[in-house]
Amino acid sequence: MVSSDRSSPVVCVNLWYDVGSRHEPDGQTGFAHLFEHLMFEGSVHVQKTEHMRLVQGNGGSLNATTNPDRTNYFETMPSEHLELALWLEADRMGGLVPALTQETLDNQREVVKNERRQRYDNVPYGDAWLRLLELLYPAGHPYHHATIGSMEDLNAASLATFKAFHQQYYAPNNCVLTVVGDAEPQQVYALAEKYFGALAPAPDIPPAPPGHLAGPATTPVRETVTAAVPAARLYVAHRTHPFGTKGYDAVTVLATVLGNGRGSRLYQRLADGKRIAQPDYIGSYGVDLAHAPAPIIITATAKDGVAVDDLEQGLAEVVDSLVSEPVTEDELGRAKAMLTTAWWRSLSTVGGRADTLGRYATQFGDPATVAYRLPQWLAITADDVTEAAAYALRPESRVTLTYLPEETESKEGEKA
Amino acid sequence: MTLVANRPAAGAARPYTFPEIRRVAVAGGTVIAAHLPGQLLASSMLMLEAGAAHESAGREGTATVLAKSLEEGTRTRDSAAYALALEGLGAELSAAVDWDSFRVGVSAPVPLLLSAVRLAAEAARTPRLDPEDVTRVRDDEVTALRMDWAQPGPRADAALRADLFGTADRYGRPLHGDPASVAAVTVDDVVAYHEAWLRRPGVLLVAGDLDTLDLAALGEAAFAGTTGAEIAAEGPLAWDVRRQRRVILVDRPGSVQSTLRIGHRAPERATPDYVPMTLAATVLGGAFTSRLNHLIREVRGYTYGIRGSYAMSRRFGRFEVAAGVQTAVTVPAITDTIGEIARTQLDGVTEDELAVARSWRAGQLSVEMQTPGAIVGALSTLVLHDLPDDYYPTLRREYLEATVEQVSKAAAGHLHPEGMTLVVEGDAAVIRDELTAAAIGEMVDAEI
Repeated sequence: MVSSDRSSPVVCVNLWYDVGSRHEPDGQTGFAHLFEHLMFEGSVHVQKTEHMRLVQGNGGSLNATTNPDRTNYFETMPSEHLELALWLEADRMGGLVPALTQETLDNQREVVKNERRQRYDNVPYGDAWLRLLELLYPAGHPYHHATIGSMEDLNAASLATFKAFHQQYYAPNNCVLTVVGDAEPQQVYALAEKYFGALAPAPDIPPAPPGHLAGPATTPVRETVTAAVPAARLYVAHRTHPFGTKGYDAVTVLATVLGNGRGSRLYQRLADGKRIAQPDYIGSYGVDLAHAPAPIIITATAKDGVAVDDLEQGLAEVVDSLVSEPVTEDELGRAKAMLTTAWWRSLSTVGGRADTLGRYATQFGDPATVAYRLPQWLAITADDVTEAAAYALRPESRVTLTYLPEETESKEGEKA
Repeated sequence: MTLVANRPAAGAARPYTFPEIRRVAVAGGTVIAAHLPGQLLASSMLMLEAGAAHESAGREGTATVLAKSLEEGTRTRDSAAYALALEGLGAELSAAVDWDSFRVGVSAPVPLLLSAVRLAAEAARTPRLDPEDVTRVRDDEVTALRMDWAQPGPRADAALRADLFGTADRYGRPLHGDPASVAAVTVDDVVAYHEAWLRRPGVLLVAGDLDTLDLAALGEAAFAGTTGAEIAAEGPLAWDVRRQRRVILVDRPGSVQSTLRIGHRAPERATPDYVPMTLAATVLGGAFTSRLNHLIREVRGYTYGIRGSYAMSRRFGRFEVAAGVQTAVTVPAITDTIGEIARTQLDGVTEDELAVARSWRAGQLSVEMQTPGAIVGALSTLVLHDLPDDYYPTLRREYLEATVEQVSKAAAGHLHPEGMTLVVEGDAAVIRDELTAAAIGEMVDAEI
């Protein structure tokens, strides 16, 4: 896919591989993400460490991310290096396996363990997302386990397993290549043919385990964690609708009305209003997952001296108000204005545009469907929001995760 | 073989340009704007000479409390009405303070920017600052700082700053204060800070489609009712580098990583060595393939990432390396880090490494400057450091022309491996003995 924009001499090359942690079988959690790391460690014609050096050493920015749904790789380069970026991507799509060594696997396994320590284990509340997924999705569901995976599974992984993983999923027929920026479509198509055209498709790519769920959960679940955290915090979560559906568009607007910005109901009623929640740590958002009902996460942190039960009751009242108190035109207008700005901001770089096009092509089969998202948000009515709340936010489908401080905060902690 | 073996050569590069800059003097202030034709969003920032360096001793955090109080209502509407008005435009206010300036930013779709700037100015110039609200915001900020300080990093940052600048100096205390200093901030402090520093015109920076935006109207909105002369910036601080290394241990019981903050003082932003110093730091710890990241992450597997850089403001600079390393390898990670810094200081850089650093820094001037927000940030650097309109094309050329000799000389002169302060925030019960035995430098426990 190509979207030409000659306003700035930069170009983004973005690849969406339709493989994420939802594809991982039991005992192989964390593989998709560790594999993403291995993709930077050399391929048939690219030496170890050379990938990073060639991109940065030619002025580019690069990264890759893995989530439950997919793995994406992207670099934004000064546009004279477009061909280099395509060559690098083709080489690691078609030629990673012969270059993959035990030493590289062992090293990147350690890097990933450090990533887990830094992002999840060494920060207060850092493991909330890992816990929420297990509470939201039943065992065996493709979203039940977190993308970072278990260290036991990673330790047990063999080199052969990773080579097989690449052969299974990293092929042109499981990938969308998007180029946005300072390039002509015909030129990009010719280069794509040159570098990717002869790569063999992978036969019989196995689908991920089915993500079907009959509907929202029917029994509430709660977990309380006592940990080294500075204040009590609540996460309330529900399964909603899959990203890309009208139901999820309503959830997106709902989450904005409920918990995005100082004008949101949560801020107005709990941070302002009752003043029981810390203003910097209150909000709600949907996690845009497309292959099963996606979660909405609602969070609040208790102010000093506020009992966590009072916070939970206050939070529940605000969530329930979405059904009992219809959303006003002002609230709806505010949410839509904020979503409009956020949408255009996400498309204001060539990288943002490329990733969005890649998403719509991968998940909905047609990049042109990207044009409908913002109009569909703007078409959501107050009734749609009420309906979404009545469907997805019922108390009986609620997941409640509570963090409590290990001990009463000592005054020592305030010493300068 | 289905793969193309030969790495392709670069195509023809298009010439680098920074967006056209326009200036309008209006209503006692200046609008400085960059033209981004066709952009749907526009970004603006009111920049005032009101940085945290103006705060009184023991009341650090006053400017931050003020920044957070601006949205608690204005003379003409309460906080809920203000939030609805601003967010109804799809805009959000960002009020922030740094060492040199106080910045009130707002972005919106182009046709709504003027209304958004009017609201931003209303909050910045005529906030209600009701004593009850300011007190509550102050208390919330104390709590927020305690939340932040429970994360790994902020306490180590404070320990390093205190050691490099001395706690007697404002620059030796945290930019946003600490829980005790914020708790001491009074309503009068906040009102006085506003009165003294936020009523002067300042500069309005704008990035967007100037064919549609009315710069004079934007300026009138930003500068209406302002008063007072602009303040002349003060000169750089005197400084020196420690004679011996010092290790500061910050205890974080149960920590599975040790957070490292390693650094020393350096020249301020106006130094003529800015370009070669930046390139030397890029080779040492800036790029992914930098010496530090290559050794500590890619070879040793001790960390998820390690960075080294010079941070330079108007009045001071410093060199700093930051990383989180696995607790069990704290000492080997420090030893390797010191080794790479010392090697870079002693032997300089190689042409291969410098080639990466040059092209990366030059390319980033295009790649990382695509959005109106990024361009406003670039304009703020021009204003803050009094740089000419052709600064970015010049900077790009200087990066590309820097030689191994120039960059190695900067490394030799501006890296001080023997005079560094090494802050280690981690589980003291586990790492203390090994740190002591390693004899890296005089060891002290942080009072934080």
